[in-house]
Amino acid sequence: MKPIASVERLRLKFPGKDTLLFKDLSITFYEGEKVLLLGPSGCGKSTLLQVLSGLIPHSIDVPMKAERVQLPDHWGYVFQDPDSQFCMPFVDEEIAFALENIGVPREQMKERIENLLEAVGLFVDPHTDIHTLSGGMKQRLALASVLALEPDVLFLDEPTAMIDEEGTKEIWQTVKQIARDKTVIIVEHKIDHVLDFVDRIILLNDQGKIIADGQAQTVFSHYKDVIASQGIWYPGVWDEYMAKRQYRRSVVQQEEKMIHLRQFRGYRLRDVKIRVEEATVRAGEWIAITGKNGAGKSTLLHALMKLIRTDGTYELYGEDSKRVKQLHRLLAFVFQNPEFQFVANSVREEIAYSLRLEKRKEAEIAETVERLLRRFHLWEQQNQHPYQLSMGQKRRLSVAASIVSGQRIFLLDEPTFGQDAKNTFALLELLESYREQGATILMVTHDENIVKHFATRRWVIEDGRLVKDEPISQHSPQAAVPSV
Amino acid sequence: MKWNIHYRETWLHHTNPSLKLMVLLLLFIGVLFVHNPNVLINFSLGLLLLFMLYTGYPWKFLLLFFLPFFLVFVSTASSMILFGEGKTTWFRWGLIHVTEESFLRGMHLGFRALSFALLGLLFSLTTRPVCLFYSLMQQLKLKPKYAYSFLAGVRLIPMMIEEFQTVRNALKVRGGVNNGLFEKMKRYAIPLLSQSIRRAQRIAVAMEAKRFSDDNERTFYYEIGFGKNDIMLVVVFIVVTAVAYYAGVHYPYIPVEDVR
Amino acid sequence: MPATTKGLKLVDILTTIVISVVFGIIYKIWGPLYYSVKPLGFHIDQLIYGMWFIAASVAYLLIRKPGVALLAEIAASSGEFIMGSEWGLEVLIYGVVQGLLAEVVFAAFRYKRFDALVVSLGAIGATIGSLVMDFYKGYIEALAPWNLALFLIARFIGAIVISGIFAASLVKALEKTGVAQMLRPASKDDYDALDR
Repeated sequence: MKPIASVERLRLKFPGKDTLLFKDLSITFYEGEKVLLLGPSGCGKSTLLQVLSGLIPHSIDVPMKAERVQLPDHWGYVFQDPDSQFCMPFVDEEIAFALENIGVPREQMKERIENLLEAVGLFVDPHTDIHTLSGGMKQRLALASVLALEPDVLFLDEPTAMIDEEGTKEIWQTVKQIARDKTVIIVEHKIDHVLDFVDRIILLNDQGKIIADGQAQTVFSHYKDVIASQGIWYPGVWDEYMAKRQYRRSVVQQEEKMIHLRQFRGYRLRDVKIRVEEATVRAGEWIAITGKNGAGKSTLLHALMKLIRTDGTYELYGEDSKRVKQLHRLLAFVFQNPEFQFVANSVREEIAYSLRLEKRKEAEIAETVERLLRRFHLWEQQNQHPYQLSMGQKRRLSVAASIVSGQRIFLLDEPTFGQDAKNTFALLELLESYREQGATILMVTHDENIVKHFATRRWVIEDGRLVKDEPISQHSPQAAVPSV
Repeated sequence: MKWNIHYRETWLHHTNPSLKLMVLLLLFIGVLFVHNPNVLINFSLGLLLLFMLYTGYPWKFLLLFFLPFFLVFVSTASSMILFGEGKTTWFRWGLIHVTEESFLRGMHLGFRALSFALLGLLFSLTTRPVCLFYSLMQQLKLKPKYAYSFLAGVRLIPMMIEEFQTVRNALKVRGGVNNGLFEKMKRYAIPLLSQSIRRAQRIAVAMEAKRFSDDNERTFYYEIGFGKNDIMLVVVFIVVTAVAYYAGVHYPYIPVEDVR
Repeated sequence: MPATTKGLKLVDILTTIVISVVFGIIYKIWGPLYYSVKPLGFHIDQLIYGMWFIAASVAYLLIRKPGVALLAEIAASSGEFIMGSEWGLEVLIYGVVQGLLAEVVFAAFRYKRFDALVVSLGAIGATIGSLVMDFYKGYIEALAPWNLALFLIARFIGAIVISGIFAASLVKALEKTGVAQMLRPASKDDYDALDR
């Protein structure tokens, strides 16, 4: 086989970090290979892709050196964040941008654009506003504009990390169709749909060292424990987790009414965006709010928090919510992007923030903050800036800081979105421990496994309406299905 | 900005954006040197007519766009009217001293602000940013790295406004900020700016990953040239200016030729 | 391979423009605020005028390269313009002149100092730029002398406080978050560490 991309004795260091990310790493990729790079977050997988494509050091200034680097001649790169890889407003213009860059004559562009959209299965009017596409469609557009460069090598840098399950499936289907004859190098944390596509797996550890490199199935079965400990979503991970946890749901059936809604409506401008005919939420319930993208799930949470205008009956603890002056003392709200709700310069102060606003006693604040720091596994990071935390830590901090005033109703907007398996389970367990003590959880989620294993009830939202309100059967621990 | 409003495309939409920008900037500078209120009033009326007939938006929205400009008119005019110097006193109360001269000067300033606003609206309501920057690259040789960066920035505006809302909600949920205006502004600015910095870095890398470079010979998806609408544009503005000037000098509303 | 291009690199331009667009949104919100305090008289409005220079200060402190202050003011005012500024085309021209004069101040320091003092001086430069425009546009020289003095003092003080001192403290806060480091070039120490 012909080598198509390689590095020899690569050394690389991020500015300001004490240690090298890679020390004398050597690796070679061959023509036509489909390779999956696995490793814990922060081990340098994406960085390696950027070196192999030449983006480091050409576009990103990171100190590196290597004895030899072989870059592929024709390559394309798909990034993680669907909202920050486009520079043009419309689908056709974005693909045209790539065609312009390589000097394709204007007369050929229209046809090329249409062909590319067809190749990735994006059947929309070429002149569609990118803003209106779903995440999965955006990533397929990213693939189309990369294919415009006619690459031999495709670098896929966690293309589905910020995409829901449905979109993830579509993206990998597309990749499988278009990349049969290409070399594909993939970094991914959710490998359900990737395993049957790749023929080689390279496993890195948190020191940026290769610990395994070989035939996909062999590496996967030999190193399953390592892969599991790295928080990767592999097939069967839920079953194994549930089996290990010897899960028993303590039934906390309490009568206490937390929320009662009747003819409840939430508005944006003049339009009714969400309506609930009637619903009651009791202490100790875990309600999973599900439904399609844009159905109004987040809007429901916003309405409950009164971030938008509402009318109809809305009672909290049996009292009319209009009489509750400070809603945020009864309801804890966690946004999808934790950074937007951070207000302090250190993890410790972040948790203390609401308590200080409430003018609690210093001793009480110190005691509460310490307890939460330990419970949420943030003790070591207490003096760091919240922005400098890892994804999982940020998420835990945002929950800790929101519930610090002792609220017993949690509103959570996809709190496990984009998290690896380890952090997802850690967060769910924390929430479950609060629920067992009588807290109520209302959580928007796309993940059927969470609904099945953690929720006690499911609300289905369709076209801005609560259309289904059903209990999840209190099933006994699931027999672990033998994994792949 | 993307107003999700249906509008009709008029000949003004089909003029060359660079030319349109140049003409309007020229008029902007020209207005700075008009000191005769009669000419200025006529000119503003002419622009108003173009605004109503040829931006292609429904009347309801034209009115809506226009409303804030009225406030600007009042606020621009007021401090000159109340505090300007002059000889013919109309009214005096403490520090407030309204004179005929200051009143006229104030009104003149109001009309000036109005005509600037109309020049701006005439441009922004009839020009897609994408066409403007393609035209700037093709006609005025703007470097692509600047043009596409601007376009990427424009694309992010709706996202940023959404994020601005989110930050506002998040602060509400956290119980608000209670230590002063500057602290509050920081609370807004830090998440928005840091998100923007990261996004900008990623977009830049993604653009270069798609082989964007200023050194490449590039082609253009939109070829933007000149047509008969461009002649129309120049003629219309010459006529408006000439009529405003002629009528203002020969048929004045107010017997004042210079407000200075 | 890096740093061979002349002038600003794509990433510098894009970052400058994107953060300036954020300020463009603030500039736009600032408009109604400005003319709602204006009728109060006594130039209270001038105290907050300085906000319209902040993009230049922040971009300069963050990216630290020649040209970014000017680019930032142009981009922020374009953003304001595109969002439908009440002042129309005027904001573009003001943006250019203000940015240019702030840039002159930073150039006078040879782009070597990045602190509150330099951006305060930059803000004064931008203020002068705005006054030049006002002189042509607003006949400010025809205000009563006491009133003109009040006007000038208020605008200068506002500019120094907002686009000088506040801008510098905002950038300090951003540096604490760690994102500012992405904008700074790697040091020689970092390169040396590769050989250890």
